[in-house]
Amino acid sequence: MATVVNIMLIDDDPAEELIFRAQMKKVVNYDINMLYAACIDEAVAMFGKGAAVDIVLLDNRLGPGEDFRESVPRLRQSGYIGPIGVISSSLTDPYFQSFAEYGADFRIDKAEFDPTAISFLIQEYAPR
Amino acid sequence: MTLQLKNQCPGNYQNELAKAVNRVDFFRIFHSMALRAGFEHFCLMRLFADVPAPTLSTQLELHDLPAGLAEAYDGRYAFSESGLFKMLQETTLPTYWIDADGTQDELMRQMGFELALCIPVQGLNGSRHAIIFLGDRDVPNMELLHAIYYDAAYAFDFYFREILANKKGMGLTPRELEILKWISHGKTAGEIALIVSVSEHTVNSHTATILKKLDVVNRTQMVAKAIREQIIP
Repeated sequence: MATVVNIMLIDDDPAEELIFRAQMKKVVNYDINMLYAACIDEAVAMFGKGAAVDIVLLDNRLGPGEDFRESVPRLRQSGYIGPIGVISSSLTDPYFQSFAEYGADFRIDKAEFDPTAISFLIQEYAPR
Repeated sequence: MTLQLKNQCPGNYQNELAKAVNRVDFFRIFHSMALRAGFEHFCLMRLFADVPAPTLSTQLELHDLPAGLAEAYDGRYAFSESGLFKMLQETTLPTYWIDADGTQDELMRQMGFELALCIPVQGLNGSRHAIIFLGDRDVPNMELLHAIYYDAAYAFDFYFREILANKKGMGLTPRELEILKWISHGKTAGEIALIVSVSEHTVNSHTATILKKLDVVNRTQMVAKAIREQIIP
């Protein structure tokens, strides 16, 4: 029986939810239960209701002028101490280099996000 | 300087390597290197650590193999009996293993790949490792082989210095000092994660680095040494 892993995607673009959900279905050996939140408030509310989440994948830009430097601390303030990965279509901005200072665990380009990468992230951050 | 090739160029990873800070960053680089060179997977393994009967899963340091594949292999076969493993004991030359002319290693057949490219590398402390790219492609031409060898060795050097090197004697970062302080206050990793606003995984990772830097083996010895050396009051 495959191990169940709960991954929360926080992304304001519903199309990304479809894409990520399709990628996660291709992962073998893990049964991924994907939770989706369109904004930080929604994610924090889900945590408040006791959502069990093994890994958070957080879109870098959830709104104009907002990036992970604001959103990751808000997730941490809600009491979530699991791994947070920042996802973006480009990691070239210099501020990505300081992701750890803001409480994130890793960064990954959306183009790199394939079933192999998902499997690695689970083994690295949510081993059973 | 990385070789510049057209078409199947495995890429210039210098900028990405200079920015890489954790295992995920290096996973991204090696995984990209494998895919861009037409392979499916990579394995970075330690060689000849002090293990009486090395298994594939215990030797793997970083890899993108499907979850459970190495363990399944170990359940059926002996890694130490594979030709690739034996070759790594006899030479430090890069080699490739293919299906077509009977030189395919049992390891490759058993894992289901047609081509393996094996690149032995060495850490600054003399420790031996190997980077293996696996896939079903044809043997790359010599130009591409050279480029892959070069890029892989280059990436390993960064990986070793950033992730594997013993950082004994190096100074603690402000974040590590903060975590050390909370450990000395008796807080658990989960509690420290809440206080410092990072993940529990990050706290454990910092703790492992502090252990290395202070050259101690557990949290008790870590705090005792930190007090003794007046790192914390």
